[in-house]
Amino acid sequence: MVAIGIVAAVLTTLVAVLIPWLPTSASEEMDRIAFVYWFATVICIGIFALVAAVIVYSVFAFRAQPEDDGDGPPIHGHTGLEIAWTAVPALLVIAIGVVSAVVLSKNADAGDNPLKVKVYAQQFAWRFEYPDAKGLKSYELVLPVDRGIEFEMTAADVIHSFWIPEMGQKQDLLPGVNTAIVITPHRTGRFTLICTELCGLGHATMRAPVRVLSQADFETWLADRVGATGGTVDGKALFASAGCGGCHTFKPAGSSGAVGPAVDGLTDAASVRQSIVDPGAVVVSGFSDGVMPTTFGDSFSDEEIDALVAFLTGSAR
Amino acid sequence: MTTVVDHEQPAPAHGQAAPPRRRGFLMRPGLVRSAWCAALFFWIGMYIVVGLRWLAGWEPIYDWTLIVLVGGLIAAPIGFLTGLGAFDYWLHYLSGRPTLPEDHSGHGAHSWKDYFRVNTDHKVIGVQYTVTVFIFLIIGGLMAMIFRAELAEPGLQFVDGQTFNGLVSMHATLLIFTFLVPVFAGLGNYVIPLMIGAPDMAFPRLNALSYWLLPIAGVMFLASFLAPGGAFAAGWTGYAPLATEQPVGSMFFNMGVQWAGASSILTALNFLVTIITMRAPGMTFWRMPLLVWANFTTSLLVVLATPFIAGSQFFVMFDRVMHTNFFVPEGGGYALGYQHIFWFYSHPAVYIMVLPGFGIISEVIAVFSRKPIFGYRLMAISLVGILVLGFSVWAHHLFVAGMADWLRVPMMITTLLIAVPTGVKVFSWLATMWLGKIHLTTPMLFALGFISTFVLGGLSGIYLGAVPIDIHASDTYFVVAHIHYVFFGGSLMTVFAGVYYWFPKMTGRMYNERLGKLHFWLTFVALNATFFPMHWVGLLGMPRRVSDYEERFADVNMFITVASFVLGASVFVFFYNMIVSWARGPVAGDNPWRSMTLEWQVSSPPPIFNFDEIPTVVGGPYEYGVPGAKHAVMTGGASTLQEAHV
Repeated sequence: MVAIGIVAAVLTTLVAVLIPWLPTSASEEMDRIAFVYWFATVICIGIFALVAAVIVYSVFAFRAQPEDDGDGPPIHGHTGLEIAWTAVPALLVIAIGVVSAVVLSKNADAGDNPLKVKVYAQQFAWRFEYPDAKGLKSYELVLPVDRGIEFEMTAADVIHSFWIPEMGQKQDLLPGVNTAIVITPHRTGRFTLICTELCGLGHATMRAPVRVLSQADFETWLADRVGATGGTVDGKALFASAGCGGCHTFKPAGSSGAVGPAVDGLTDAASVRQSIVDPGAVVVSGFSDGVMPTTFGDSFSDEEIDALVAFLTGSAR
Repeated sequence: MTTVVDHEQPAPAHGQAAPPRRRGFLMRPGLVRSAWCAALFFWIGMYIVVGLRWLAGWEPIYDWTLIVLVGGLIAAPIGFLTGLGAFDYWLHYLSGRPTLPEDHSGHGAHSWKDYFRVNTDHKVIGVQYTVTVFIFLIIGGLMAMIFRAELAEPGLQFVDGQTFNGLVSMHATLLIFTFLVPVFAGLGNYVIPLMIGAPDMAFPRLNALSYWLLPIAGVMFLASFLAPGGAFAAGWTGYAPLATEQPVGSMFFNMGVQWAGASSILTALNFLVTIITMRAPGMTFWRMPLLVWANFTTSLLVVLATPFIAGSQFFVMFDRVMHTNFFVPEGGGYALGYQHIFWFYSHPAVYIMVLPGFGIISEVIAVFSRKPIFGYRLMAISLVGILVLGFSVWAHHLFVAGMADWLRVPMMITTLLIAVPTGVKVFSWLATMWLGKIHLTTPMLFALGFISTFVLGGLSGIYLGAVPIDIHASDTYFVVAHIHYVFFGGSLMTVFAGVYYWFPKMTGRMYNERLGKLHFWLTFVALNATFFPMHWVGLLGMPRRVSDYEERFADVNMFITVASFVLGASVFVFFYNMIVSWARGPVAGDNPWRSMTLEWQVSSPPPIFNFDEIPTVVGGPYEYGVPGAKHAVMTGGASTLQEAHV
């Protein structure tokens, strides 16, 4: 039976080690989550191997002969054994609990010089604000590497959830409630922010691009964007980053969403503007009212709406 | 006018009751009367709404949302039950007419038609329940086949976003509220009175009513696909405020849960009273089979927890139709409040859906290992331990939801501690097998399969209990994998074990053992092939409840879809075996498994009042291998029993 147990443990360990179970970490928090994950995995492999070994061994060793109508020995229990398999698992899970609690408190610490970022979610788009940079608004989440980020978030309509798989941390955004989370990215690169809480028709398309830059690049980006405020807005970039393409097909943007009507071939700037600001005013037949958020009129600046209308009606193509 | 029951003639002795006046086709209790009664009640409900709106001067007078709610979802089901005859006895009593003579015409099944009536026999009700819930299993399972086909490739191929969300929500809703919760009520209904030596449940009419509430709930859920705007599509968890602003199909879910919840509360009350008051002489609590213990603790959970989901769904519905603000932040509501109330039921509900399964496995393992259950008392105590701890862990569903931070660590500790009583059960089953004489029949295979897959489901539960891992894995396919290991690898495997185990008792015939084993191996392999890879895509970054996903998950999802089709097909082996064996399987005999518990000491199927002789319990239920040991002796006195309970 010991042999079966060892075989089971080795096989499970191979499954655990050879398959890349977790995404390549991109934050300090994810490193700590991975530590808890492997801590629990070691314990779980032990328990699974034990159970598997006993089942497999019992089936082979204690199987009744075809004509054997006899009974097994009348063993009713064993107090020592019963105490042992109550106490040992209790200790193991408490160990996991203690490690988890320590990691949880470390993962809430943003360090000495945190960067504050505000996150707003609505069906089915994300928006970010940098309060320390004159409230700079962005539809792409750009972060500096190796600096604690304090996210403060809220939702406009229903519950959404903020998750960048490589960074581990996840937090729901609720209407009427402010929630917070800390992430300390530790490698540069491009990632995707995913909504993980079912939020309606376009839930699967509710994503936003994430870029982690070196601290110098980040400062440059911030300075460029703050300086450019009030200047020209790129309608095409806005169409992509505000999540329009998740629901609407538009060939110039390369999008193929089917939640809302296709927006190819529009020419009337006034009606396009109306449909962005007040989507319920005219509803294309075959589509439902109340799916598209009604808040774009508030969340977009006038320049942004102009740029979007220009991009959609083709005058900026 | 008093309500004294005044018989014109001296009350007739039992057996010679004057046959009730034969009523016409339309007035006889049954499906015909229930059809026109449902229509009549809908009409009444509709004109209550219309009348009140007319009196108050509200426009429009014909508000179809409210008419559907009051007429269709509340009044019509009551009309259906009235027409079926579920209330006849009580209505006679209430109205001061002579109560119906209890001639047992509604007891026992003499032809297949008796299964479509209000029947007070717990064995008939058990079969009604079991067959009905398996129909819902097929429907819910086919929905999974449709959305797995959709998920085989990235992009949208077969259904649109709203339909996909509707299918996913309805798959879970049907399989939880109209399969997993009631299936154990069905199996328990059949075997619990037999196991404790009782002639029936404590409240047979209530028992019949609680069964007939169930198809109402199931039909209501399914009818939501016909509602304008499509089916309920906010996930089976129905989180507010998304559920509040969904199309009207949402109301069908809100009300369907009420009917299903009422059904399970009534059944649970019935189980509790039956188990407490109707045990045979000598059947002390410490001599009850573990399935009885399991149903006892489960019934406590149902009675204590189910009102919470009823409340949560009423609040959501009030937010919609009465414009209250329980969960709508614009009016001062608190969105997170819904989740606290919902999970205060829905976490214990997971134990409602698995504790009776633990009971079934204990019966099966003891019988087919030919050994007493190892540590019987600790097994019973661990059930109670799960019951108590189960009420203190609901907020582990809210680790990322934005609740108070300090609540996370205490909830994590209680969550992890639930692994202890669960572990006790697993280790005790293993020790029961140790040195036994194991017979690998189909129920035993399902029991062993259950232990191995349920251990995996329990271990992934440890990951989700540990807050930092949960923060990463929450709302991803890891959770989907976990819950299917618990519900399919756990609960459904125990249901299969139980159905195969009691099939000879219920039908008097034996199922086909080879097909049973084929069913097991197909299920076991396909189940792991379907759900194990979901852990992986979840941890890598695939969220749940999405109709579309990234290209990099395409291969794994194709594999999962193919495996899920095999899993779906495997169920039809089971249905074929059950139907054909029921019709013309070999006669099974009274006790084919040589079991000691009471249900096997009577004929198969059992006589109409279960025991022709009163059993006296003289020992434990699992005394296999103890020389000369007996669980019960039959002491005669059938006529006394009939007097006492008739």
